Amino acid sequence: MTTAIEARTSTSDAANARSFVLLHVGDARYALTADIVAELAPPVRLHSFPHTSPLVIGVIVRRGRIVPVYDAGPVLAGRSYSAHRFYLIARRAFGAALELSAIPVNGECELATGEVLPARLDRHPSICGTLQVGDEGVDVLDFETLVSSLPMQTEAKTAGEQPEARP
Amino acid sequence: MRIAVQESLLSNRSRKPEQAIVFSVANQEFAIAAESVQEIRSADSLASTAIELDCVALPKVRHTVERGRHSYYVVNAGVHFSLPVSRPTLVLIMRQLRVAVLVDRIERMGEISGVYPLPRAFAGDERHWYRGLAYLEDHVIPVVRPNGFLTDEEFQLLDQAMSSAAAPLELAEGAPPA
Repeated sequence: MTTAIEARTSTSDAANARSFVLLHVGDARYALTADIVAELAPPVRLHSFPHTSPLVIGVIVRRGRIVPVYDAGPVLAGRSYSAHRFYLIARRAFGAALELSAIPVNGECELATGEVLPARLDRHPSICGTLQVGDEGVDVLDFETLVSSLPMQTEAKTAGEQPEARP
Repeated sequence: MRIAVQESLLSNRSRKPEQAIVFSVANQEFAIAAESVQEIRSADSLASTAIELDCVALPKVRHTVERGRHSYYVVNAGVHFSLPVSRPTLVLIMRQLRVAVLVDRIERMGEISGVYPLPRAFAGDERHWYRGLAYLEDHVIPVVRPNGFLTDEEFQLLDQAMSSAAAPLELAEGAPPA
């Protein structure tokens, strides 16, 4: 298991190549634009308390700051992955302000550059493209859409239903 | 675009220490400003002044208690926060509010270095429930808003339930003898 984000050289030198952080959620690999990624944090204590915000599972304290944690598992894979102990910390925009936010990952993250192709049609709305990494097409996450999404189970429920508080 | 809006816990800029009471409900800890609590009583000691209240729409409030010349709506904090059923033993009577809160126990009282804003990722009812977060002994604890236990609409519902409960009694008292 790697704890640092490793650089990976892409075969693409195209002018529109951008940097991405590759991460695992469950068994699948995803890419997140490196522009918004602050760091990969080691396992730290997750503090939880009652609230009603979907996907938020608590907060961590990192470098003296309280950082909310979103569980991407229910959106992308329909289930949580409690084995994920590392946190990928990214910046989320709230109007003109930015706030650090974290998603649990398994610690195997790496850097990659490459060209982004349009997302496949059958993908979740939080997938905004496909990054070619060697022979593999990796789904590119739109972080804002991802953390604003409802878990798969909740989406199936009637719209407008009040979410229950989760400790 | 502003960055790094999350203030560091190490920075006390614009934060002022305050005395807080840390209480627990269903093994979940919360803090409340000590100055917003008028009195802490055992639930048993208030049983004699408790009046049952039938407000089906608001299951978190099932009683009122009388203290001095004032009546307080008793909010079960476990139900309010949708926590598992617990056994509340204490009542926190709020200052300047018609609210008393049933909690399991007091964990400690002490100074918190400051209340930090709730991250904007929290966008639900918790923005009404909490003033923010406190960092105390390596724990992040929500600091409850005393007036977050009952909304104005909930007060109206409860006042109506109280009025309708009192009306039959007044009618019976004022009725001519048969």
